[in-house]
Amino acid sequence: MTSSRVGIISIGWYGFSPSTPEVSFREMMFESSNRAYSAVGIDPRKEVDAFVVCQEDYWEGIAITNEFAPEPLGGVLRPTVTIAGDGLQCIVTAYQLIKTGYFDIVAVEAHSKASNIATLSKIYEIALDPHYVRPLYAKNPLFLAGLEARAYMERTGAEKYHLALVAVKNKNNGLNNPRASYATPLDLEDVVESKPVIDPLTSYEIAPFVDVSITFLLAGEESARKFTDTPIWIEGVGWSTETGTGAIAWHEWGRMRFLRDAANQAYRIAGISNPARSFDFAEVEDRFSYAELVALEELKLAQEGTAHILLESGDFDIDGYLPVNPSGGSLSIGVALEATGLVRILEATLRLWSMELVEEAEGRAVVASWRGIPSFSGGVVVLSL
Amino acid sequence: MSMWRKKCTTPEYPGKMETEKYVYTPGLHGLEFFKTLKEKDAIVATKCGETLYIPPTTLCPDFSKGEVVEVPLTNPWYIASYTIVYEDMDGNKLDKPQILALLVPEEDIVGGIIHYVKAEPEEIDVGLMVKAKLKPREKREGKITDIEYFELVA
Repeated sequence: MTSSRVGIISIGWYGFSPSTPEVSFREMMFESSNRAYSAVGIDPRKEVDAFVVCQEDYWEGIAITNEFAPEPLGGVLRPTVTIAGDGLQCIVTAYQLIKTGYFDIVAVEAHSKASNIATLSKIYEIALDPHYVRPLYAKNPLFLAGLEARAYMERTGAEKYHLALVAVKNKNNGLNNPRASYATPLDLEDVVESKPVIDPLTSYEIAPFVDVSITFLLAGEESARKFTDTPIWIEGVGWSTETGTGAIAWHEWGRMRFLRDAANQAYRIAGISNPARSFDFAEVEDRFSYAELVALEELKLAQEGTAHILLESGDFDIDGYLPVNPSGGSLSIGVALEATGLVRILEATLRLWSMELVEEAEGRAVVASWRGIPSFSGGVVVLSL
Repeated sequence: MSMWRKKCTTPEYPGKMETEKYVYTPGLHGLEFFKTLKEKDAIVATKCGETLYIPPTTLCPDFSKGEVVEVPLTNPWYIASYTIVYEDMDGNKLDKPQILALLVPEEDIVGGIIHYVKAEPEEIDVGLMVKAKLKPREKREGKITDIEYFELVA
């Protein structure tokens, strides 16, 4: 038996703040989950069939951290699985569980307590390949983003100011988003005249970190319609991993082939043949400015080598042909560690709900997330009203 | 970059993750790479068809084994991409910017070596030729740091 469709029926969140000293990470998980369950009147102890959590030992500062997952979600002695990956991968897993027909309502949670991590750069450092990259002990382990950005610029002819335009767009978009702690009025001069941090990237083009917990409830079609009049349907999913720095021999610099692979899979499932003309908006990876432009090309929302040109012409503005990161993206909201993908899909879901009464809207969005430097791993989800 | 981290107003309970000591196995291809670097002025790559993969991969993209071949470090290499690091992740400015680059022995290679380039920021560019500055052979340890840095070829 397979469920015909999978819908998002509720979301709860807590945080969206640079620090959350008032709660432990488990209390954050409880807060977001309780809000998601309460919004639709679901008892997690009886009505949620499985729990999927995206978290990683190093981010938590606890080994075998999966053992901490069930209790704050209401998942003790229930089917709970923890995935060390971006939140979108958990959404994909929940989608698959429901599609089997054996699970009807599945909770997905991911969180970031980045403010607890006293030596964040050391965790990024230890994620680098121990033979070929880490022994260099570069002063900033995010330096790989600079190599990627430069390779992208070389390939496409994009210039520094194109990358800066991404930051200008997203930092300003976030001004209308109450969850965007890092939104700020910004113009192009502010960015291009600031000093680079990881050349060619300035501090405006590198997303800071944020504390947040997000819980989603997904359900099969019949149940989804029981709990809400407006489920957001997951029309297609895809996920892919290239390699990390452990096998950089495989990597094409300045590209995100894993996103292309994931997008092809998601579009195939959703029956989308012309992605550039299929969506009302896109919420995509932008923890570094260049990443948004690369992602748009890999998602086939812009032809090869044209994303920066379309950006400059205003196509991706909030009132443009295809608004990209109208929420403000990670540059405005912050990087939420493994919850970053859930932030993207949260923002897309809320925007789709707000478009319910807009007649001319297709009511369809694409969401893409990357696990960040130094990974080459991510997911894509197609959503519709 | 450090503005996200605010001082907590609640009591702090510091901890330390005891993961700083670990013994990594480089594997057959890794051992060959570092042995070659230590004993010769060269590294090894995996040749799959006409394409060289650096560092050497265990398998080719088609899951075949490929051939391990030596690639000299005595010839000029090229800068395929580069970055200049001015600040650490906590927002502290570096006394001296670090230039890191993706370096390849020929322009259409897949992969490459990531390493430092000794140059001034205004001198660096994609496509420039560089040469490896190796440690004296008696001081080499079979590590990537046996290459001290790459320097621009005049």
